[in-house]
Amino acid sequence: MDMPRDMQAETLDDQTDAVLMARYAAGDPAAARALTQRLVPRAMGYAARLLGDGAEAEDVTQEAMLRLWRAAPGWRAGEAQVATWLYRVVTNLCTDRLRARMRRPASALDDAPEVPDGDRGAVAGMIEADRMAALQAALDALPDRQRQAVVLRHIEGFTNPEIAVVMDIGVEAVESLTARAKRALTALLAGRREELGYGDED
Amino acid sequence: MAMKIDGQQGRDAPERDALDDLFAEARRTPPLPSETLMARILADAKEMQPRAALPISMPPARGPGFWMRLSGLFGGAGALAGMGTAAAAGLFIGFAQPVDLSVLGDAVLGAPLETVELMPSVDTLLGGN
Repeated sequence: MDMPRDMQAETLDDQTDAVLMARYAAGDPAAARALTQRLVPRAMGYAARLLGDGAEAEDVTQEAMLRLWRAAPGWRAGEAQVATWLYRVVTNLCTDRLRARMRRPASALDDAPEVPDGDRGAVAGMIEADRMAALQAALDALPDRQRQAVVLRHIEGFTNPEIAVVMDIGVEAVESLTARAKRALTALLAGRREELGYGDED
Repeated sequence: MAMKIDGQQGRDAPERDALDDLFAEARRTPPLPSETLMARILADAKEMQPRAALPISMPPARGPGFWMRLSGLFGGAGALAGMGTAAAAGLFIGFAQPVDLSVLGDAVLGAPLETVELMPSVDTLLGGN
């Protein structure tokens, strides 16, 4: 492995995901921590947006990371981006969950996802939580593929070519899905401007 | 990617601006993993992690071999060689019985070697005197 000899001296934060994967596979416990801190919040956020359920999102994230640990020894740098690969795994796991959910009798529909409200004022926090709940409800109403595309594009900040890799489709298909999703979300959220706290803010 | 956090400028498409605002808010307030989840994942990582390459373990050191121990018993290979030589010489002398040596032996012992009683017999000891 062509790693510089003074690697120990450098901080792991500067390393690429692929290097961390190699170091994890070589038995470095610090690499596991660095990968966890770097990737888990992203995977968790994405899974929560897709599923609209925090507990399920945690399970999916753990499962996806388990697959990552398993894949590490055979990981070849340059073959795939670690983050893209992980998002793809999360996407597939979420799709499976949603399909299983469709087969089950519908549970309580008013399970609003938990949204952390940080240190902001209580009222502002509540309005924001309402907005996020409204967004989540609208996302939940979208078809799976549209939800994946729009979340990846507008919340996770991926580019269309990256989304194409994650979703295993062409770039044009990504654009089409994203556009349709945005139209649908706009329609779903239309008429809720007052409700969402935009009415008398400005 | 440029974020449009303040969506007030596009008055003609207010709903779309509202949507962009919501996306921006969603980016700022991602659902965060719990400490428990992080701990669970790290535990998985530890369990799944290949062991760090250990130094190649040497086979347990074996004791010195039979011949080494035998020569050690007699004071090393040199001493053993000397003893071997002496044994071979004694054997040779016994077989060859050089005349000079018989003469010398007779002179030293005062009688032919065959008749000298080097060790008193048990009978002598038992018989007293």
